[in-house]
Amino acid sequence: MAEKLEVKQGTLALMILKTLEGLGPLHGYGIARRIEETSKHRLTLNYGTLYPALLKLEQEGFVTAEWRQSENNRRAKFYALTAAGRKQLARETREWHQTADLIAAFLAPRREGP
Amino acid sequence: MRHVRAALARIAGLFAGPRADDDLRDELRAHLEMEIAENIRRGMHPDEARRQALLASGGLTQAAEAVRDQRGLPWVENVAADFRYALRALRRSPAFTTVVVITLALGIGANTAIFSVVRGVLLKPLPHRDGDRLLYLRQSTDGPGGANISFSVPEIRDLRNGVPSLPGIAEYSPWTLVLQGREGAVRINVGLVTGNYFEVMGLSPVLGRVTRPSDDGPGVPPVAVLTHEYWTKHFGGDSSIVGKQLTLDKKSVTVIGVLQPAPFFPDRVDALLNMVNSDHHLSATMVEGRTHRMTEVVARLAPGATVDQARTEVDAVYARMLREHREAYDPASHHRVAVIPFKEVMGERARLTLWLLMGAAAFVLIIAAANVANLTLMRGVRREHELVVRAALGAGVARLRRLLLAENLVLTLAGAVVGVLIAIGGVRLLISFAARYSPRANEIRLDAAVLAFALALSVALALLLSFAASLPKEGTFAGGISAGVRRLSGSLRKQRLQRALVVVQVAVSVVLLAGAGLLTRTMLRLSDVNTGLRTEELLTIQVPLLTPAELLFNPAADAGAKERYERMRREVAALPGVIEAGVGSPMPLRSTDVRFDVKAEGKAPAVGEALPHAELRTADPHFFRAAGIPLLKGRPFATTDGPTSGKVVIINETLAGELFPNEDPLGKRIAWTGDVLRFTPISGDWRTVVGVAATTRDGGLDAEPRPVVFMPFAQMLALGGGLVIRAESSAARLAPAATRIVRRIAPTAPVENVMTIAQFKDQSVAPRRLNATLVSSFGILAVVIAAVGIAGVLAFSVSARTNEIGIRMSLGADSGRVQRMILGEGGVLLAVGLVVGVAGAFFATRAIRGLLFGVEPHDPITLIGVALMMAAIGVGACWIPALRAARIDPAITMRAQ
Repeated sequence: MAEKLEVKQGTLALMILKTLEGLGPLHGYGIARRIEETSKHRLTLNYGTLYPALLKLEQEGFVTAEWRQSENNRRAKFYALTAAGRKQLARETREWHQTADLIAAFLAPRREGP
Repeated sequence: MRHVRAALARIAGLFAGPRADDDLRDELRAHLEMEIAENIRRGMHPDEARRQALLASGGLTQAAEAVRDQRGLPWVENVAADFRYALRALRRSPAFTTVVVITLALGIGANTAIFSVVRGVLLKPLPHRDGDRLLYLRQSTDGPGGANISFSVPEIRDLRNGVPSLPGIAEYSPWTLVLQGREGAVRINVGLVTGNYFEVMGLSPVLGRVTRPSDDGPGVPPVAVLTHEYWTKHFGGDSSIVGKQLTLDKKSVTVIGVLQPAPFFPDRVDALLNMVNSDHHLSATMVEGRTHRMTEVVARLAPGATVDQARTEVDAVYARMLREHREAYDPASHHRVAVIPFKEVMGERARLTLWLLMGAAAFVLIIAAANVANLTLMRGVRREHELVVRAALGAGVARLRRLLLAENLVLTLAGAVVGVLIAIGGVRLLISFAARYSPRANEIRLDAAVLAFALALSVALALLLSFAASLPKEGTFAGGISAGVRRLSGSLRKQRLQRALVVVQVAVSVVLLAGAGLLTRTMLRLSDVNTGLRTEELLTIQVPLLTPAELLFNPAADAGAKERYERMRREVAALPGVIEAGVGSPMPLRSTDVRFDVKAEGKAPAVGEALPHAELRTADPHFFRAAGIPLLKGRPFATTDGPTSGKVVIINETLAGELFPNEDPLGKRIAWTGDVLRFTPISGDWRTVVGVAATTRDGGLDAEPRPVVFMPFAQMLALGGGLVIRAESSAARLAPAATRIVRRIAPTAPVENVMTIAQFKDQSVAPRRLNATLVSSFGILAVVIAAVGIAGVLAFSVSARTNEIGIRMSLGADSGRVQRMILGEGGVLLAVGLVVGVAGAFFATRAIRGLLFGVEPHDPITLIGVALMMAAIGVGACWIPALRAARIDPAITMRAQ
C-alpha cells in the first residue's frame, strides 16, 4: 500500500477549489472523499485540516457556504465557487505548473559539459 | 484586497456568537454521519462503522478548536481571557493589589512628574523656527561677575563681518523702562533689538507685525512688540492692542504687534523695542565703545554649516580682536568667547538640578519595583499549588508566563493611572519650582510624550516583574503532584533573590537619604551665612526716580532727585517706630552690574595680575547705621561730604584686603580706572578712603564676597536709589506708611521690592530649600517603601518557617532566642545594604557637588547620620516579624501538621 501523506500547506486550498470547479457545489464530506479518491487514498484529510481551510477560503471570498438538502435527504453545508474563486484557481494552477516545471528541471539528471 | 477581506472577516469573527459554534457542530456531525452511513453501506457493523469514522475524523473537539482559531483572532481572544483571569485573581487578594498599586503609583508618579519637567525644560524642541540652528554667543572673563559680560557693538560688528557660517547675527540689549499706566508707574523689562532679531530668532507675531531692518537707526518712529506672556497678563489678551500708544520713560511708543509664546534668555522680558527707544543705544558711546558691553548676541547657522565650523570662525575673529585692540582686553582677565546652542544655554541653570531630581525619582522607582518584585515572588510561592494544578490541566510554562504578565500589566497599568493623577498634582508645583531655573518653565506639560513615557515605564516594569519570577521548569509538575507537595519553591534560589532585592532597597535608600541630607545641610548652611549686616527689622523700598536716559543726558534732573530722596528719608525717619532711615543704591544684598576697575595711588599691579573689579554703591550719611553694616575702621559719610567738598569713599573689607594687604587703608587714595569709564559720567579722580565697611554677601549667599566701593550719595549721580529703614520691631508693618510717603513725594516713580531684608534672604534660599524638600521627600518615600520591603520579606520567611520555629521551641528554644534569630536574619541584610549604600553614596554624591554649599559631598556627619537613621528604621521594620515569630505557639503549630 502506498505511503499515506499529510496534505501540504497551501496545496489543500488549490485541491478544494479544483474539486468545486469540477463537481459544482459540494459539502465538506464530499470534498474530502473526492480529494482522497483523486489522490488514490494516499492523502487523508481529518476535520481539523479540512474545515479551517474551507473557512479561510470563505473568509477570502473564494467560496460561499449555504445549508441545503443533500442527495440522500440530509441537511449539509454546501460550498460553491465564486467568480473570485475561479480567478484564484486559474492563477494558482498557473503558478503551480510553473513551480512544478522549475523543480522538475532542477531535479532532472543533468549531463555534465564535455 | 483578499487579505483585507480576510482580516475583516476574522475581526467580525471575534464577535461570532454561540450560533456560529452550533452551526459548526451541526456541520461536523453531518460529516461524521455521512461517513458512518458510507461505512455501513460498505458492509461494516454499525459500531465498527462509527469507530472507524471517529478515528478518521482526527477528533471533533480538536477540529472545532482549529476552526474557531481560524474564525477569529486567537491571540486577541487569549489575551482577553488572560486579562479576565488576571483581574479575577487580583480581586481575590485586595490587600496585595492595593499595596502594589500604591507603591507603583508613587514610583511612576514621581518619575512622570519629573520627566515632564525635564522634557519641557531640556528636551523639547524650541518653539523657534528651526530652533536647533539657533546659537547664543557668550563672552566671559575670570573673577566674580565675569561669567557673562555680553558684547559691545564694535565687537558684534567684527563678528558680523568675519563669520560666514553665521549670516544672521542679531543684537538684544536688556534694558528697563518705566511704563506709565493708570495704576501708576512700573518698571518693565524690555529688550532693545536690531531689526533682524525676529528673523534670526525665527519668531513670528500672533498679532500685527514684528520689527524689521527698516526699524533700525535714528529718525524712525519708536515701536514695541509685546511678548505673549506680558500681553495676556497685563492687557488681558486685548486684540485691539496693535496701534495703541504706550508711555515708556515719558515717551510715546506704538505697539506694532504681539509675539508668539517663546522663552527668553537670560531674563524674561515684557516687550521688544527698536533701538531708537533709547537715546543711549544710538549714541557714539554705545556704537563706538569697544568696552561698552551691554548687548547679548544670538545668531542663526547658515544652511549646511555646523556648530563646530561656527566655533572655529568665531574663535579666529576673536583672536584677531584680542590682537588688534589690546587696550580693551586686559590679559589678566582672560577674555574668551563661547558659541552655545540656544536650547542648551536655556537649560544651563536647570540641568544639574533636574538630573538630580530625575535620578532621585529613578531611585524611588527602583526601590518600588524591588518591593513589588518581592511581593510578587512571595505571592508566587503561595500560589505554587495553584500553578501546579493549572499546569497539570494543560497550561504550559509559556501560558503561565503569559498569565503572570497579564497580571503584572494590570498592576503596573493601574499604578500608571494613579501615578499620572499624582503627577498632575505634582506638575503644578514643579512649574513654579522650575521657573526659578529656566525660562521654559511654562512649556512644562503632561502631554502625549510624557504619558507615553509613563506607559513605557509601566510596560517595562511589568515585563521585568514577569521574568524575574522563576516558574517551575516544564516536566517538574508531574513529580510535584504525585508527591503531593503543595509547594515547589526552589526556595533557596528564590529567597536569595528576595534578599538581594532587600539589600538593593536599603542601599538605594541610603544613597537617596545621603543626597537629601547634603542638600538639607546646604540649605541650613546657606541660611546661616553671615550676611554682614543685621537682617532683622530692616525694610527696604526701591524707588528709581530717574530713568537711565535722564541720568546720562540731564544733569539738572539729578539735584532735584537728590532733594526728593532726602525729603522721603526725613519723613520716613520721623515715622513712629523707625530708628533710622538712610538712602543708597542698590539695596543691601542685591547685586549690581555697575562695576569698574579700581587702582590705589602709588601702586602698580604685578604683571599678569588683574586690578580689582569693584561694585559701585552709594550711601548717604545714615545708610550704614540704618542698614546695620558695621564700619570696621574710620567714619561713616558725613553731611559735610557734599558735592563740592573733598572726594571721599568707604571701601569694604574685601577690597581693603586686595588693595592694601597688611596696611591701614584710611587716608589712602583710590580711583576708578579703565577704558570703559569714558562712556560714563563717572570721573577717575583720586578719592580718599575714610572708612572700611564689613563685607556683605551682595552677590548671593553662596557667592564669593565681592569688592565694593561706596561713594557718598551727594558726590555721585542718583542712580536707582532706595530707602533702607531700621525699625524697632516688626519692620514689615511700616511698609504701608512708608510707601504712602514715597508715593506722595514721587508720584510718577515706580516703587519696587518693598520687603524686609529677612524676606529677601528667605527668597534667595528658597530654591535650595525646594531642592532639599523634594529630594528629602523622595528619600523618605524610599525609606518607607524599603522598610515595608524588609518587614515583608522577614514576615514571609517567618511564615515559611513556622514549622521549623515550632520544632525549635518545642526542643527548648525560648521566644527571646527565636526573636533574636529573626532579627539576626534581617540585621545581616540591613548591614550589607548599609555598607553598599554608604559606598554608593560616596560616589553618587560627587555628581551633585555643584548644588552643595558649605558641605563636602562625602561629609562624614551626613553619611554617618544617614546610616544610623536607616539602621534604626530597618531594625524597627525587623522587629514586627521577629515579635510574631516569638509568639508562635509550638503546640498549635505541631498540631496543624
